[in-house]
Amino acid sequence: MTENLARPAGLAATHAGLDRRAALKLFAGGAALALASCSRPPEEIVPYVEIPEGLTPGIPLKFATALPLAGYARGVLVKSVEGRPTKIEGNPRHPASLGSTDVFAEASVLSLYDPDRSQAVRNRAQPVAWETFAGVLRTQMEQESARHGSGLRLLTGRITSPTLRRQLDDLLRAFPEARWHRYEPVNDDAAFGGALQAFGRPVVVLPRLSDTKVMLALDADPLGPGPQQIRMGRDFVGARRAQASPQDFLRFYVAEPAWTLTGANADQRLALPPQLIRNLALAVAKELGANVEAGNLPAEAQRFAELAVGDLKSRPGRAAVMAGRAQPAEVHALCHWINAQLKAPVDLIDPVDVAEPGHADSLRTLNEDVVAKRVQTLIILDANPVYDAPGDLDVRGALRSVPFSVHFGHYNNETAAMCAWHLPLAHPLESWSDLRSLDGTASIVQPLIRPLYDTRTLHQLLAYMGGAASASSYDLVRETWKARVPGGDFETWWRGVLTDGVIPNTAQQPAQVPAPKLPTLAPAQPPTGFTLTLAPDASMFDGTFSNNAWLQECPRPVTRQVWGNAAHLSANDARRLGLVDGDVVRLGRGDVQIDAPVMIRPGQADGIIRTTLGYGRWQTGAIGNQVGFDAHRLQSIGSPWVLEGVSMAATGRREEILTTQHQYQLEGEAHELFPILSIAKLESEVPRRHESVGGPATLYPAYPYNTYAWSMVIDTGACIGCNACVVACQAENNVPVVGPQEIGMGRDMHWLRIDTYFTSESSPPGFQPVPCMHCEQAPCEPVCPVMASIHDAEGLNLQVYNRCVGTRFCESNCPYKVRRFNFFGYASGQEFANLGADVVKLQFNPDVTVRARGVMEKCTYCVQRISGARRTAERENRKIHNGEVTTACQDACPTRAISFGDRNDPASGVNTLRQERRHYELLGELGTRPRTTYLARLRNLNPALTEEKA
Amino acid sequence: MPQIFGPAANSVARVVLLSILITPFLAIALGYALMRSQYVTGASITRDQPVPFSHEHHVTGLGLDCRYCHSSVERSAVAGVPPTETCMTCHSQLYTQAEMLEPVRTSLAENRPIHWQRVNVLPNYVYFDHSIHIAKGVGCTTCHGPVGSMPLMRQAQSLTMGWCLNCHRDPVPYLRERSAVFDPEWKPPAQQEEDGKKRLIAYLIDNKHLTDCSTCHR
Repeated sequence: MTENLARPAGLAATHAGLDRRAALKLFAGGAALALASCSRPPEEIVPYVEIPEGLTPGIPLKFATALPLAGYARGVLVKSVEGRPTKIEGNPRHPASLGSTDVFAEASVLSLYDPDRSQAVRNRAQPVAWETFAGVLRTQMEQESARHGSGLRLLTGRITSPTLRRQLDDLLRAFPEARWHRYEPVNDDAAFGGALQAFGRPVVVLPRLSDTKVMLALDADPLGPGPQQIRMGRDFVGARRAQASPQDFLRFYVAEPAWTLTGANADQRLALPPQLIRNLALAVAKELGANVEAGNLPAEAQRFAELAVGDLKSRPGRAAVMAGRAQPAEVHALCHWINAQLKAPVDLIDPVDVAEPGHADSLRTLNEDVVAKRVQTLIILDANPVYDAPGDLDVRGALRSVPFSVHFGHYNNETAAMCAWHLPLAHPLESWSDLRSLDGTASIVQPLIRPLYDTRTLHQLLAYMGGAASASSYDLVRETWKARVPGGDFETWWRGVLTDGVIPNTAQQPAQVPAPKLPTLAPAQPPTGFTLTLAPDASMFDGTFSNNAWLQECPRPVTRQVWGNAAHLSANDARRLGLVDGDVVRLGRGDVQIDAPVMIRPGQADGIIRTTLGYGRWQTGAIGNQVGFDAHRLQSIGSPWVLEGVSMAATGRREEILTTQHQYQLEGEAHELFPILSIAKLESEVPRRHESVGGPATLYPAYPYNTYAWSMVIDTGACIGCNACVVACQAENNVPVVGPQEIGMGRDMHWLRIDTYFTSESSPPGFQPVPCMHCEQAPCEPVCPVMASIHDAEGLNLQVYNRCVGTRFCESNCPYKVRRFNFFGYASGQEFANLGADVVKLQFNPDVTVRARGVMEKCTYCVQRISGARRTAERENRKIHNGEVTTACQDACPTRAISFGDRNDPASGVNTLRQERRHYELLGELGTRPRTTYLARLRNLNPALTEEKA
Repeated sequence: MPQIFGPAANSVARVVLLSILITPFLAIALGYALMRSQYVTGASITRDQPVPFSHEHHVTGLGLDCRYCHSSVERSAVAGVPPTETCMTCHSQLYTQAEMLEPVRTSLAENRPIHWQRVNVLPNYVYFDHSIHIAKGVGCTTCHGPVGSMPLMRQAQSLTMGWCLNCHRDPVPYLRERSAVFDPEWKPPAQQEEDGKKRLIAYLIDNKHLTDCSTCHR
């Protein structure tokens, strides 16, 4: 008894566990802790020590710069929040941007913050200091200097930077026997070769689509991914504005082996193997008087040719023909001849890029030199030949034999693994440089942020190679332009070009060319067996962007595939071989065999296998490794885009192909959701319109929208399907990436999706961007138990994230399926792969909430922009002006397909658009009264064809 | 067999039944009161700062305008806390050796910012914009309290959503003329109701949109 009393109370365990006192203490402690967690954690405010001039906390700044794609520039304006870039937009003053962006420009901001970016110099994978490399480089360059640079080779991509060219010229003068090789996987070799044959000198063709009424594209893809997509898209749609009469509406004929964006936007499209497209070109030329043999063409192609030529000849001075990179140089020369006969409205300019030797020849010569052991010093500047060189050049094996090899790039990639040294390259958003676009316009590239890691720029490395101990890209770029600016005040000029983002008077002048010569071109035999055609991918391009999660998850335009590529087959071929979607086949060419999943594409030519480049990488980073299969290995240096005699055999395995859209024709109901009208019959035919005139009867009084009434009109005829709006929305609104597994479960997160509808299997589809409809009678609003989905006075349907409990009733009630649910913390705690790294969070837009797990989200009409514009207007005691608020998708769209504005403002564009005959509401018969409405797509069919079909 | 229920069992049963009815209401009331208490809202809690900056001295004593330090309040959503160089505009000449200002001098010398403890904090899902409130005639002291009499900064109001809505639903009692927005001594005069109604119209304040969720939550 005495012992028990003496025992101390508290956590002394009795034979049965805690005693009552201990339990009560724990309970009280727990309760106190629980209460303590209700109070706010302390927060700090950390101001500047000295605030930078011009910076106001809370107000973002915009800077003009330029971003490269395949070496050519697109001018951009980058929004900088407190010293870091968060959003990329177009530069209205730049001719290759015209105020819009493409997917690659929008996604560049994410690759700046990629955690997989190379951060340190590596010597055979061991990190070392720059000084170490600098010392070794100096020694090596001294050795080269002794032999006049005969063992020195430089390999780059396409270089258009005047400063880099100046530095390269200086370097090659200092090392006279050194060579500079260029290899850009997506290059213009065939085009320049054709121009050489026709004119004796290389020229670049810039079609003037505003003056063109009939265009024939032979395996060409001007609307496809590339540095000219924005400009071509804008001009293309500009030439097809609906108010023009059918005579003024550009009629677009496309002959191509497999679906591209250009074919998807055509009026008349013919699926034809590339060999027969050559014969088609010959047939056209023959009709115009050329002394050539036309060769065989199937009946359908024959008819197509007749129609096209008839149309081309009927519009002298307003018709043109263009050929694509997959066609041989002779076809390009033939097109030059045809255009001269037609007096086509095209501008020919001297190329900005070095045209001779071609990229393929340049790489081949380098490979030969390396194999012959003539190369002692190989410096690879921002190129990845181990991955993207054609498979029949064994670059990987060759590189191993070079004694001193250096790779200078953004990632520690496949080529870096084969080189002795790897140097980290600064991202364009953190470097000083300059660039030129395809038409020659030069811009200064200015950094938006101090380099995140210990990187250098290409300018600095070239300066080191030239013997400089240290170099500043800023000084080097200024030096270039000081020499070019005639006298006067350089500083004022410099500030001017930095503000504008464009250097005036740098566009190439039209080239004076002689009359084109007709090339000798024999017609092709119809192909036997399978022909593999390759194309740059609409999201990966040539593989440069494979570690960019936004682009991996951005659905490809026509197939809506994500996170991988596929071997596309025509329906007939698939039926013949007994293949269905997802069956894995083995493609073989020579010794090379690769496995690829099959995707059946109605409308593809028979005998054609189409796949895209940019996949199958093995050393790009956590996002891109092992995604898809590598088609580069099947490429041949002599024929990189068309490979004949490819074998295909079923393996019996299956692989899931991830797509975000699973139905393209909707059992024939696609025409209800997506009417495609014929411009000839626009006036006479009353299109099926789904106007909700009054809608179902209601007892509720009409809501008086007498303040701003935000609405959006999307012209599906102008949408070319480029996906710029999808990625722009993702960048602006902190929309997370969910990864392939979640996509496989149907949980894609894009607020704005683009639906592809085929009204028939072979006619060109249409693209319908679907943001939130912001219905006036929204079905998602009455069903939310906590009023997280509500309406505001200006017509927006709001989603209040902090109220949402995740019932998901709103998502199931939405007839348009535009709502997205955070099944996991995709942006907060359960990010895909390495996207949870702190550096990735720098990209977030501070004006938009980052949603937690269990919360519903959807398009908000960029409510943060509306709010910002309203506050600005109200500070100035006025209303918001027409055009002051633009949504992210509207800004990004190259063709200006999206119009947004206040319906209650009589000056607003949306009112005019809503009055058009083509105007319709999506699923309007449901009575939702959507604020987002559409204009139907138009096709300008050749009247001869329509009569036949009728 | 021994009795299972003693004589007290009846009382226990009655107490338990009563508490089943009452306890949930008490718990909710406790929670309700707790969430409005100073403990949770942070009102009237003075936080320790690296430098004991006295608004009373600088505002009432010296007559500094709010905007001298919180300079972005008329243009930006963020009023902000001034950079060290703002403090040094005066303190490079006054109290240059004061021990109290040692952290400020060190901050400038070592180029490292001062870590102030945030007093007026709104949750991250609230997007508050200072400049629009200033533009519409809501004064600094209306929300931040009598700053001119605070020797150390504290959060004067509860800053709960209900408190914000109190004004958003009816701004009339709080609207000042624009010249009085930065007056630390302003009190609503007798005719505030009348004046406020006039300002509601003159300042183009849209009552309808003020209570839309999208005003603050996006």
